[in-house]
Amino acid sequence: MGDAAGFLQLTLVKAAPLIFAALAGVVCERAGILNIALEGGLTVGAFAAVAMSYATGSPLAGVAAGILAGAMLAGLLGIAATRFNVDQIVAGTGLNLLAAGGTAFGVAVIFGAPGASPEVHALGPRGEAILIAVALALAAVLQLGLDRTPWGLRLRACGENPRAVLSAGLDPRRIRIVATLMGGGLAGLGGVFLSLGELDLYSDGMTAGRGFIALAAVIFGRWTPLSACGTAVAFGALSALQFVLQRSGVPSELMQALPYVAALAALTGIAGRARAPAADGVPFDAG
Amino acid sequence: MRASSGATLEARGIVKRFGSVLAVDGVDLALEPGEIHALCGENGAGKSTLARIAAGILAPTAGEVVARGAVGLVHQHFELVDRLRVWENVVLGREPRRGLRLDASAARERVRSLGAAYGLDVDPDAVVETLPVGVAQRVEILRELARDPATLVLDEPTAVLAPAEIDALFATLRALAARGTSIAVITHKLAEVVAHADRVTVMRSGRVVLRAATGDTSIEAIAHAMVGADIPALAQRVEVAARPAFAARGLCAGDGAHALRDVSFAVGRGEIVGIAGVEGNGQSALTDAIAGMSTYEGELVLDGQPLRGTPAARIAAGVRVIPQDRRREALVLPWSIAENAALGDHARAPLRRGWTIDRSARDALATQIVDRFDVRAPSIRTPLAALSGGNQQKVVVGRALGHAPALLVAYQPTRGIDVGAAALVQSRLIEARNGGAAVLLISFELDEVQALADRILVLYRGAVAAEFVRGHFDRARIGALMAGAA
Amino acid sequence: MSRAQRWILGGLLVAVAAGVIALAGASPLAGFAALVRGALGGERQISETLVQTTALLFPALAVAFAFRAGLFNIGAEGQLIVGGLFAGVAGSALPGPGFVTIPLILAAGAAGGGAWGAIAGALRARFGGSEVIATLMLNIVAALLANYLVAGPLHPAGVAGAETAPLPVSSWLPVLLPGTRLTIALVIALALAAGLAFVFARTVFGYTLRAAGEAPQAAARAGIDLRRTALVAMSLSGAIAGLGGATLVAGVLHRFNVALSPGYGFIAIAVALVGGLDPVRIVAAAFAFGILQSGSLSMQALAHVPKDAVAFVEGLAIVGLSARRIAASAARAD
Repeated sequence: MGDAAGFLQLTLVKAAPLIFAALAGVVCERAGILNIALEGGLTVGAFAAVAMSYATGSPLAGVAAGILAGAMLAGLLGIAATRFNVDQIVAGTGLNLLAAGGTAFGVAVIFGAPGASPEVHALGPRGEAILIAVALALAAVLQLGLDRTPWGLRLRACGENPRAVLSAGLDPRRIRIVATLMGGGLAGLGGVFLSLGELDLYSDGMTAGRGFIALAAVIFGRWTPLSACGTAVAFGALSALQFVLQRSGVPSELMQALPYVAALAALTGIAGRARAPAADGVPFDAG
Repeated sequence: MRASSGATLEARGIVKRFGSVLAVDGVDLALEPGEIHALCGENGAGKSTLARIAAGILAPTAGEVVARGAVGLVHQHFELVDRLRVWENVVLGREPRRGLRLDASAARERVRSLGAAYGLDVDPDAVVETLPVGVAQRVEILRELARDPATLVLDEPTAVLAPAEIDALFATLRALAARGTSIAVITHKLAEVVAHADRVTVMRSGRVVLRAATGDTSIEAIAHAMVGADIPALAQRVEVAARPAFAARGLCAGDGAHALRDVSFAVGRGEIVGIAGVEGNGQSALTDAIAGMSTYEGELVLDGQPLRGTPAARIAAGVRVIPQDRRREALVLPWSIAENAALGDHARAPLRRGWTIDRSARDALATQIVDRFDVRAPSIRTPLAALSGGNQQKVVVGRALGHAPALLVAYQPTRGIDVGAAALVQSRLIEARNGGAAVLLISFELDEVQALADRILVLYRGAVAAEFVRGHFDRARIGALMAGAA
Repeated sequence: MSRAQRWILGGLLVAVAAGVIALAGASPLAGFAALVRGALGGERQISETLVQTTALLFPALAVAFAFRAGLFNIGAEGQLIVGGLFAGVAGSALPGPGFVTIPLILAAGAAGGGAWGAIAGALRARFGGSEVIATLMLNIVAALLANYLVAGPLHPAGVAGAETAPLPVSSWLPVLLPGTRLTIALVIALALAAGLAFVFARTVFGYTLRAAGEAPQAAARAGIDLRRTALVAMSLSGAIAGLGGATLVAGVLHRFNVALSPGYGFIAIAVALVGGLDPVRIVAAAFAFGILQSGSLSMQALAHVPKDAVAFVEGLAIVGLSARRIAASAARAD
């Protein structure tokens, strides 16, 4: 029996939304925006994808809708952070709540009471595989992009010292907003995978804290795309393991808690003290 | 819009308001090619704001800037990305490309050739945060030169340089000017102005009060224009029988470029020991060690007892520190003068009564500080953020001296404050010394150290290079030691 | 944020709320009317609003307490759940008269929440780990832990759902208004608010907390131990939230189950912000949000507007209010 292959496949399926969300977190934070609304991004992405697929019958339209929804949610954060210099943690918390409430509202209004959508046209196994490949490829592309391109240099500079970017004649606010939109789109894509890839419907709370696991992956992965992706895959493996052990008597909640406990352990510095981008989450007043 | 005559940069009728504060109030300025133009004024006179407007980084509330060619600005507090490399900082925004990618080798070559052309040598691959301050400044200058500017503005460039490095910098600027660049230097060091600049413009309270060719004016005239009055004299020193009070033995702290290496010295009661040195030679490590804010090896002794433990323990032992950065390290800006007055003594009688803070005692202390230190504020309920830098510093100093400390460490006590407030602070330090306190003065301004200290210790690369006694302050020798001469 | 800005934000939120209600197919006026009537339309309705107010007041005070000390406690929800869990276990196990058991139950809740908050506090104090991440993670671990315990090891025989055994009636919190769910929990919460106001304004402890929150470097140089402050503040904050969980168990549900809180810990963040982190104004804010909570249910029943519309607007309110700089120390503690 292709046990190992089956396990690997399950790992990647579980990891894909985490990879997208973690990459979203990396892009935002390297630019200096602390985005804790990855959970919200996954949620609105998952919901919008299903709603669009329900309306048009086309899963591809759903993908586009999911990306757009994620980008819009994160865009709120980007504008709030760059134009109004808000506290990004608080704003992110608000966005998570907004996303949860808004999608539950949408489900009730569009689909009626039961808290879930009916089945819709989904991506199917081939679409799933393509998205997984996209996730892995994006990790590599973003790593190269950050390290080797002018765009990456400017983004990294924004995350460390936006004043320096301003002195260099660039606009750090614009760079940050673009990064946030990108990140939001990535998170939305992660949500799309959840609702149209792994399954073929949306239900309230289906993101189940994955956005927060992704945050842990960002830290464990020291804010670099490849490491964050690798950590996300490891968390996916934990998830797959839980599935496999389901019938062995190990309480499922214990397994489910593992990624979160791992993140707590990361805070003790076991994974080495990496430093976040210096201007991460710090409001920047251009004056 | 064309610049009239041959001026490289013309600012006309510049006004800048920040909320209700009028920083620049109708200023005209013209910079000619090939000249070095000094812009002088007290802190808060509007010089840095004007510079940023001239460089196009800040928009004026009114008025216009007409510039021929690019304008480069080297900031007082560098705006470099510490974690990136030198070449990444220099080409940021003007990156050489190869297709979609950064052309790193072209960038490195850029840094090397610029450095060679202007005598500013830096390793392109060095990470900025590992560089000593003087070298980091070169990176900032290179970054601006990479824009091939017709005008180059430098904001307090010599604040972090040793005397020898200052000469090298002005030689570089002279070479640049000879190629036709207009150079504007913002500085409060009048000796430099008279020695190196062609023309000088003095600002006060946002307006221009003096324009002259440096050959036609003098240091006294410039200083008078800056302040608008005569500078108050310092307090008199009195003869004090010095007794041993504080000693550091074999102090080693920190690592890397800013560490402290096996430092030993003593400060007696009734004397001011001045630590002279360029920024970044261990002064912060020394202050933090004495304050208990960092770990270190070696021992500290105060009044015969070992000085160790937490910052709270040291405060209880009679150590008071005036930190370098009052806004972040000494004050709670949103709080009132009264609330700030209690900080440091809040956990002890008389300010503490059981579980609560004795508000009348606290208010009495605050009133005392305001009266004795001439703090200009509407009341003790005024938030610190509403006070000028000079008045904020007076609160810090007044609080530190409020309980007759055994050892007072004053780290850059007159940084960024107006001349009047600086003179008051310096006088109070002398009076504390007269009253028997042991005062350790750490300052990057050699003039200040020379004016106040009974003994000067020169700190270079974390070690004490030499000691000088009052009456034998050899300024040239001290300057050379600050720069690392043997 | 200025007065004018607050009014603009308020107007914006009302407009969005109206739009959302319209999206649900109801008239905004009907929706608002249903909400207000459901919240304040009679003695029973007002008492229910006050129950919601109390449920929000505890975690809001907890969040504000931590915020004032410069710590982002996003984990009030988890601390509330753990506190409720401890209270539920203690309550179903302790025999005796109410005046003995009730204080013990409440203390158990505070201890549980306090321990949960202390985990994040210790991670911050000892390792400098971000309490934002820690509390976020701990929220989820708390839910999982509670799920596991009440469905498994702690599951009492003869009880149907995933919950603890019911508390004996003698251990129920005394009711303030007969026939309603309004208990002395409200009084406890109000007393707590007054106590916290006093702590912040007059005590040395409150002074050190505020200094640590507003100017951590200056506080450290003035002899304040930032690590100890972080640990104590997070523990106390968790204890306050846990106490709230205990009052929900002993006063409203009379048992612990995993559906204890419909997200009070998160809405409490909005309450704390609207109240400007001031205990007295938070009481008023909690009442306003209590109206929203209890009114949302009748808005759903009468005007057929899904109650999640309220959560959506509350989330938007938090985003709008995030313009206030919460703490001088950034969330990342390095």
